[in-house]
This record gives sequence, structure tokens and C-alpha cells, in this order.
Amino acid sequence: MNPGTAISIEHVTKRFPLSALGSSSLKHLVIDAFRRRRAKVFQALTDVNLEVRQGESLGIIGSNGAGKSTLLSIIAGTITPTEGRVRAKGKISSLLELGAGFHPDLTGRENVFLYGAIMGIPRAEMRRRFDDIVDFAGIGEFIDQPVRFYSSGMYVRLGFSVAVQIDPDILLVDEVLAVGDVDFQRRCLKRMNEFRHSGKTLVLISHDLGAIQSISDRIAILDHGTIVNVGGPVDMVDAYHGRMLAEASGGASAATEWGTREALITRVAMADASGAPVKRLPGDRIIRISLDYTASRRIAAPVFGFGIATPERGVVFGSNTQIEGVAVPEIAPPGGRVSFEIDATALQAGNYTMSFSLHSADHQTNYHRLENALSFYIDKACRGFEGVAALPVKCRVCAN
Amino acid sequence: MHSETTTNRAGGGFLAARRELIESLVGRNLKIRYKGSALGFFWSLLTPLCFILIYAVFARLLKFGGLTPDYLQYLVCGIIVWQFTVGCLNDSLHSISGNANLVKKVFFPRVILPLSTALANLVNYMLTFAVLMLYLLASGHARLGCGWLLVPAFAMHFALCLGLCCLCGTSNVFFRDTEHIVGVVSQAWFFTTPVMYPVSFQLDFLPADIGWLAYVNPMTGILALYRKAVLGHAIEAGGCPPAAAVAVSALVCAVVLAAGRQALRAGDARFGDVL
Repeated sequence: MNPGTAISIEHVTKRFPLSALGSSSLKHLVIDAFRRRRAKVFQALTDVNLEVRQGESLGIIGSNGAGKSTLLSIIAGTITPTEGRVRAKGKISSLLELGAGFHPDLTGRENVFLYGAIMGIPRAEMRRRFDDIVDFAGIGEFIDQPVRFYSSGMYVRLGFSVAVQIDPDILLVDEVLAVGDVDFQRRCLKRMNEFRHSGKTLVLISHDLGAIQSISDRIAILDHGTIVNVGGPVDMVDAYHGRMLAEASGGASAATEWGTREALITRVAMADASGAPVKRLPGDRIIRISLDYTASRRIAAPVFGFGIATPERGVVFGSNTQIEGVAVPEIAPPGGRVSFEIDATALQAGNYTMSFSLHSADHQTNYHRLENALSFYIDKACRGFEGVAALPVKCRVCAN
Repeated sequence: MHSETTTNRAGGGFLAARRELIESLVGRNLKIRYKGSALGFFWSLLTPLCFILIYAVFARLLKFGGLTPDYLQYLVCGIIVWQFTVGCLNDSLHSISGNANLVKKVFFPRVILPLSTALANLVNYMLTFAVLMLYLLASGHARLGCGWLLVPAFAMHFALCLGLCCLCGTSNVFFRDTEHIVGVVSQAWFFTTPVMYPVSFQLDFLPADIGWLAYVNPMTGILALYRKAVLGHAIEAGGCPPAAAVAVSALVCAVVLAAGRQALRAGDARFGDVL
């Protein structure tokens, strides 16, 4: 292992025997032996190679079942790889599957000390850190209640708090951001950033692409047990969006593209101010879309439209040539190009997808509609505000 | 695969830190056992006293006394020693599978789990054994001339129990049938062990020169040692030298311990998959 390497994952393959996932019993073993049937296996990871440098923070993204948690468990040492090996340097603290391994019947206090003992922290040292742990978790007097009475938020907060305050060399965090309130998420991110800037190694799984992009030095994309891409956080989040869209449009075309197909939207692309194609929103936050279409026959008075949506909140904004007062007298074979320029400075930080449509002026005929054809990401809103879009506000306060 | 990193993971003071972990887990086992019960820890003293009382009544009613003059003491000694073995057996079943939340989430040497189960039972056993000694002294039946034999007796007994904890704990992760099998087997084991009757009952069935065969059951040797140590009963082994017979039991204890260690090693790599 190189001196600067914290975690080295070499040719790691993991297969789970499927029978072992259900209830195991002697009966099954005997029956399987008689039938001479090889147990079915599920291949969770295939030849994964990855090196994490000391002081680096690595994000792992991928869809559900891609093998992210298995990979993290293998790094933590709680799962042994079928092939290959993992080596890690230093003390590892992990927050796998949303918990630090608490026993429900023990109080928070007892669990904290037990976890410290497991991590090899002397009791005296744990006593010194105890107040910080409880403070960060923010669970107050509940610390002396059995953890089975905790809300899921309290459970995760205490787990994260212990895992971090243990002061490990390597911290593994599996989707801690998905739970807990906004305030806790913010403190989590802050703490992880501090951890990262103190030269420690962080490996993080999250579906919150914005958060993972902001906290990672590198991101690995995992897909069906293989690492398909590793690189800078911005590029990888873009690439991941691209993959998801490709999967969405390739997998179920009926759901994402429909219409009479008398005219087709063949391509939509985003460009920057100079007209060069871009994959992400340019710095001036102007969405410049060029939309290529083909027409199989002459169509009078068509309307080109677009919609901007977030996965959580649905359509945020939509418009079309008709609303914008741009008359399109007709389209005819072979086709042409339409361009939109949309000022997106008002949008909140987050992930957005764009859909496009080509329909008749009376909205009765849908020639072609492309769902989620483009995506972009805003890492930080132009100004602070609540909600999805910043509307212009003037306010005046008068005293009587 | 973690051979290189195991020592690194704990950082400095490996042994000291592991000692604290074992202490914590033993404490946790004991705490959970008595959690919510009003008398709590006193049960470990109360239970053996109740046993002594129950057997005293029944031994008198059934007129079992003819076997040896101190039959009641012989019986109570056997029962209390046996309780440690069977307590370990029962608790060990869930020593690993019952800690799935720990095993799945944190890496640490897994042997600590069955070890802490055995140690928690040992703490309990020490208390009940103290009660037993007080009773023997009070009833005037204590014969402590060979008291030093308690050392090998405890050593063999603990080795056997630790080995069984590893075996049953590991086995129950992969085959949940272990629980039921252990229940039946431990009952059969109880009656094939001279807890309620003297070893001579078994020796009657064996030719004198292979009397050591009775001591293949390690509990026979362990009980014989305890009874020699605290009651002064001779170790009977037919025509065989008593030391040789006890050595057979000791060997079996060592084999069980080694088998437990081996089973735990073999299972370790797959605990995370199954739990």
C-alpha cells in the first residue's frame, strides 16, 4: 500500500448466497445437498478497484441496489469480500445503515461507552468527550433512556455524533443526510467538512447529489456492482444525471416520450453564452436551449414548449412559444431549430430536469413530448430565500 | 484479509482497549439479564439457595439419601456446577446472532462476543459457587483437603464452556435449528452426566480396565474434580488411575475449545452476509 493511501480496494468481488439471505436452517442445507443444487448467488460487487488517499473525501453515488452499502461494509470490515482484498490504514469509524450498532435495551449513555470500547477508546477518554457527543446529538436528558424509546432522528443523531467524536482516521457514512431535520443536516455537513479539513479520510454515500458534490473531492459512480466512473464531483454528478436520463429514456420510452410523431424533437442541447455546448448550467445562469426538430409533413401553427421541474416539487416553471408571443406560422419537412433563453437566476439550489413538447395551438394534438430530456444542477442560489423561486420583492415599513 | 489492519484499527494500547470492551460487554450481558427485575443481581444468589431448598425437600421425600451419607451436598454441588455449563449453552446461542446490530456495523474480533457471554456466566457462577461453599461449610460437609483441585476444575470447566459458546454461537448464526438441538441434547447430556447419581452407576456397565471411557464426557471429570476438592469424594474410574481418567476429560475440554475457535474462524467471514 502506498504511503499516502488510506484505503485500498483491490479487485473486490462480493457474492451473496441467496439462500443465506432468507432464513437458514439445517433443513435447507440437507435438501440442497440432496438435490445437488448449487445455491443461487447474488453478485453485489464485481471487480471493484479504488484507492482513497489520506485526507481525501470520496463520495459514492449510484441507484438503489448498486452495491454502495456493500462496498462501505467491506471497507468497514463487517463483510468479507468473496474475492480481492481491502486494506485500510488507521482507526475506522462507520455509520452503516443509519446506526452505530446500538443495543435497544441499553441507555444512550451506556451505548456511547460501549461503542467507545468497541472502537478501542479508553473509558477515561470517552468520559472527556461525552458532553460533546450529547451536545452535538442534541438529545438532552434522553441520554439516560434506553435507545428503544428514541425517535429515529434521535437515534441517527446520536449515532453520527458518536461516530464522529470518536475521532477516527477514516469515517464511513452511509446516507446520514436523508434523515434528521434540516438543522441537523446542516450541522452534519459542517462537521464532515471540519473532519475533512483536518486531514482525515471520509467516504460518504448519499442520494443528495448537491450535498455529496459539495463535500467530496472525488466521486465514484457505482452501477450494478461495478464502478463505472470516478472523477471530480461536478463532472460525476453531471455524468450521473446523464446516465439516469439515458436509462430513463432507454428503459421505458413510452413513459418519457410520446405523441403522434408527425413531428419529432430530435435533439435538445444546452449551450453557454458563446454558443459552445455545455453539460451544466453556465455561470451566468442563463439556460440556452437549442431544440432540433424534424417534420414528416407540413403542420400549421405548432407550439414549442418547455417545463422545468424538480423531482420533489414537480413543475416549477413552464412556458411556450404561444405564451411568449412568438408566432410559428408553420413547420415543414425536413425540420429546423428553435432556441430558448431562460433566465434561471431566480431558482433555488437543487436538481432540475427539463421536458419539451411540440403540440398544436389548441393543445388538442401532441406531436411529440420529451420528458426529462435535460437536467441541470444549481449548487447555490443567487440569494437566500425560502421556496423554489426568488420573486422580486419590494418592501416598505412605516411607523404610525 | 484484515490481518494487516486488525492491529491498526485499535490504535495503541490494543490489549488494554480490548480489556475494556470485554468488561463493557460482560457488564452489558449482566445488566440486560437483570434489567427490569425488582431483585436484580440478588437473583444470582437467590436462585442457588432456592435450588438447595428444593432438592433438600425432594431428596428427603424420595429417600435418595442411601447413595452416600452426604447425598444432598453431592447433589447440590452437581446441580450448581451443571448450571454454569447449561447457562453458557443457552446464552451462547444468541451471543452472535443477538448482536447482529453490532456485528453488521462495527468491526472487532468476533471472539469477544462468545467470550463475554462465557465471562458473564462465570461472574454469576462465582457468586453461586460462593453460596454453595457457605452452605457446605455451614452444613459441616466441606472437606477441603484437596481444595487446590478447584484450580484445574475451574480451568477445565471454563475452557469447555468457552468452546461450547463459540460452537453454538457460530452454529446458530447459520442454522437456527441449533437452538432446538441444543435444548434436546443438553437434557440428554444432563442424564448421562453423574449429576444426580454417582459415577459408579456408569462404571458398572464398563469393564474395569476401560473405566476412563466414562470420562470422555468432560463434565464427568469436571464434576469429579469439584467433588474431590470440596467434598473430599474419591475420583472413581474403575481400574484406571483417577489422574488418567481426569486427563481424558481435560483432553476433551481442550478439543472442544479448539473446535470452537476453529468454527468461529470459519464462520467469521460470513457473519456479515447472513445476519
